[in-house]
Amino acid sequence: MSLPLLSDTSPRLARVLTNGTTVFVVGLLCVLVLAMLPSAVSAVASDGSVKAASQQGLFKDDSQDCMRCHWMETMAYRDRETRKIVNLSIDTEAYSHSVHFELACSDCHARGYAHYPHRSSSADEDLQCVSCHEQHQDEGAPNLIGLEHEYEKSVHVTEDVEDFSCFSCHNAHTFKPAGGREPIAEVVERTNGVCLSCHEDLLTPVPKGHEWLPRPQAHWNAVRCLDCHTPVEGRVPERPSHNVLAAAESNQLCVECHTKGSELLSQLYNYRAEQEREQKGFFSRALYNESYIVGMSRNSLLDWISLIVIFLTLLGVAAHGYARYRAYRKREVSQ
Amino acid sequence: MTALYLYPIWLRLWHWVNALLFLTLIVTGVSMHYSLHWLVSFDTAVPVHNTCGVLLTFSWLAFVAGNIWGGNGKHYLINIRTLPQALIAQTRYYLHGIFVAAPHPFHVSAEHKLNALQSLSYIGVMFGLMPILILSGWSFLFSTALPETLFGVGTVWIIAMVHLATSWMLALFLIVHVYIITTGETPTTNLKAMITGWHKERSSG
Repeated sequence: MSLPLLSDTSPRLARVLTNGTTVFVVGLLCVLVLAMLPSAVSAVASDGSVKAASQQGLFKDDSQDCMRCHWMETMAYRDRETRKIVNLSIDTEAYSHSVHFELACSDCHARGYAHYPHRSSSADEDLQCVSCHEQHQDEGAPNLIGLEHEYEKSVHVTEDVEDFSCFSCHNAHTFKPAGGREPIAEVVERTNGVCLSCHEDLLTPVPKGHEWLPRPQAHWNAVRCLDCHTPVEGRVPERPSHNVLAAAESNQLCVECHTKGSELLSQLYNYRAEQEREQKGFFSRALYNESYIVGMSRNSLLDWISLIVIFLTLLGVAAHGYARYRAYRKREVSQ
Repeated sequence: MTALYLYPIWLRLWHWVNALLFLTLIVTGVSMHYSLHWLVSFDTAVPVHNTCGVLLTFSWLAFVAGNIWGGNGKHYLINIRTLPQALIAQTRYYLHGIFVAAPHPFHVSAEHKLNALQSLSYIGVMFGLMPILILSGWSFLFSTALPETLFGVGTVWIIAMVHLATSWMLALFLIVHVYIITTGETPTTNLKAMITGWHKERSSG
């Protein structure tokens, strides 16, 4: 969107070109104004993701029957065996923004809900993300088989974590991929929140096992757990790997991020930069891109050479100036 | 007392806008490169550096336009035949003559405001280093659009090194530039000229 904006101003620029004295001021001001308004520019650029009510699964007939109860925020019960509160409420707002917004309740919860109160056995339905997505590939459901292969190698499976499934991390009622206008910091916070909801013991200023990591909180605000806790090889830009590594196998090499390759970070940050440029336009995205990583441009040899050369130049200049001053004083005295 | 009007208002404006952008880029660039949070915080330094870089591009284009249409370009035309001699004379003056109050080998005039060393280094900076700096900067901004590797090395790293080396050389230029302008008739003669536009000397050249 910023490109049309720029071309709007160019006829004015062209007129001003005839007046040599003001062309620079006007030109610079245009860019400055452009740079100051990233949010305004992006607001126009982004699509209003409000969907028509007719498309929404929760407004379909049988869904409305379900939602007569399940819209309530307090809809919950205490499980007799585990004594835990099981939340049964559906956040309509979050659902309508999720990837599954078109699905009616019965599209997944097909059997056993005709009677009220539902039988406790109804809850034992064996929902399978991978096979369901496979069945509905023609309708645009992304294939999850690659994810399943990664997931099967992950520490969550190999360590036989009890009752671990897709739903341990993903809520199908709210799930949406990282993207849109969500700032990177929020994506990071949200995805890390998934990990930390189970790994509660890591919620300390210096988390267990991360003592070696300098400024852990600064890292956790900028990097996803997954950026270090998944293999470097075989990454795709669109999504993090589901092969979550055990602590011992995770990446601990600082230079994997803070060096020329920046392999760990390239996934989230490069992908986002591309995606956001499409949405926000050329200029605002260029100015606010977040892909610069401290240390990426560091080269100790070059750093040293340039610092020494700069120092010698300063020294030379100072010596020259001092000698000039001495010569000047001498001349004054002799006169 | 002679007074020459050497620097029209557009040129002075350009010069000082350019200087401001340069200093901002150096401060933010250094704080990014060495992660000096106390100098400029990282979250501020990156967008400010990017913005100033884009503005510097426009400033450079304005300079080129001013040289083509504003008549300033003639000062950057080198006379190849007299160049070696003029360079030697100028260098000798800075290394020796300046200490013994020897006459300045170059006389500023409306037709020639830059001495041989000046015009040569300005040409190198404005038409050599600056385009490299600007292009490598833009490549940074759009690094995702570039190929992953170039000659087997990460493209972004190559760009980073080019950008870095060029910026160091320009920082060197800035140091020398700031010092050399004090070698006019008085230490502030040249500085005043770039502020008022008038180059004033007691003796005519």
